[in-house]
Amino acid sequence: MAVDERSLWEKIADKLRSRSLWMLHYCTGCGAMELPPTMTSRFDMERFGMGPMATPRQADILFITGYLSAKTLRRVIYTYEKMAEPRYVIGFGSCTLNGGIYYDSYATINRLDYYIPVDLYIAGCMPRPEALLEAFNELMRMIRRGEANGWKKYKENYEWYKQNQIRSLGEVFVHDEFHE
Amino acid sequence: MMNSMSNTVEKLKRIVNNLDITKVDEREIKLELPNEQVLPTLLALKEDGYSHLSLITAVDWIDEGKFELVYILYSWDNGGKFLITTKINRDTPKFVTVKHMWPIARYYERELHEFFGIKFEGNNDMRPLFLEMWDDMPPLRKDFDPFEYSKRKFPDREYQKDVIHEAKIIRGDIDG
Repeated sequence: MAVDERSLWEKIADKLRSRSLWMLHYCTGCGAMELPPTMTSRFDMERFGMGPMATPRQADILFITGYLSAKTLRRVIYTYEKMAEPRYVIGFGSCTLNGGIYYDSYATINRLDYYIPVDLYIAGCMPRPEALLEAFNELMRMIRRGEANGWKKYKENYEWYKQNQIRSLGEVFVHDEFHE
Repeated sequence: MMNSMSNTVEKLKRIVNNLDITKVDEREIKLELPNEQVLPTLLALKEDGYSHLSLITAVDWIDEGKFELVYILYSWDNGGKFLITTKINRDTPKFVTVKHMWPIARYYERELHEFFGIKFEGNNDMRPLFLEMWDDMPPLRKDFDPFEYSKRKFPDREYQKDVIHEAKIIRGDIDG
């Protein structure tokens, strides 16, 4: 079955899914600063049927705000693999696209979709809350049309993604002296 | 210079000969010292109220072949700050630990070992602190090329060049 073929039930499920999205925001970069106005009364994300979620197990969207160091990428992959399907990823800011101003840094990765599938990118440094809301609405439209298929691509091309993760990180497993 | 700071400097002059004093700011004094006089100076300053070790860091003077170690001491009594600096050999970077004077120093020393490759005698805990699975030379040395490392480890997105757009900019049709 092709990635974008859906049964009637899946179409109905996608329609309902798109109206109740829970977002896990992984705030590693400076882009996190644009989220408080988006979530709170000024722009009020909840009027679109979206809310913040604290844990990956209960979230639909993984929202990556800005640059990721090799160290945080390991945690992001952990988080992404913990999330229940269907799961969607939004890359926010130019750092997730091509490295942004940290393109030559020894510590930060240059493109996020090399390691985990990204459904939607928001370009800019920084994108304004209006751009975020536009992106969320676009993601909802994509889910309704059955185009947000990153999680299926991840399953199909799991070896490719794993190989890329190993190439840049050496090992995805997290060793942490403060918790071991 | 504040009165209390000049009093401290007077006291230091009794311990250290030929003190090299630079006034950085109203409340900030830099002292450049030979290696063996760093520890006595730090101890004297600590006893004189400059008991807060804000930072230990290093500067890579690659042309001189030296690392400059910088100890920043702060006083909560008068807000004054002392920068104690000393130069060590870049090829075999080694100094003594101050972790018996400030326990927090062991983390700064680990960081310096990780980012500059400096070893501290008396501090054997030199596990990596920030970087995970680092596989190259210490990254804050000036001869390390971060761009080359980034290209090798983190592949970039390949863009197709928009030749027509560029030609229009050159011709002046669009404002580049």
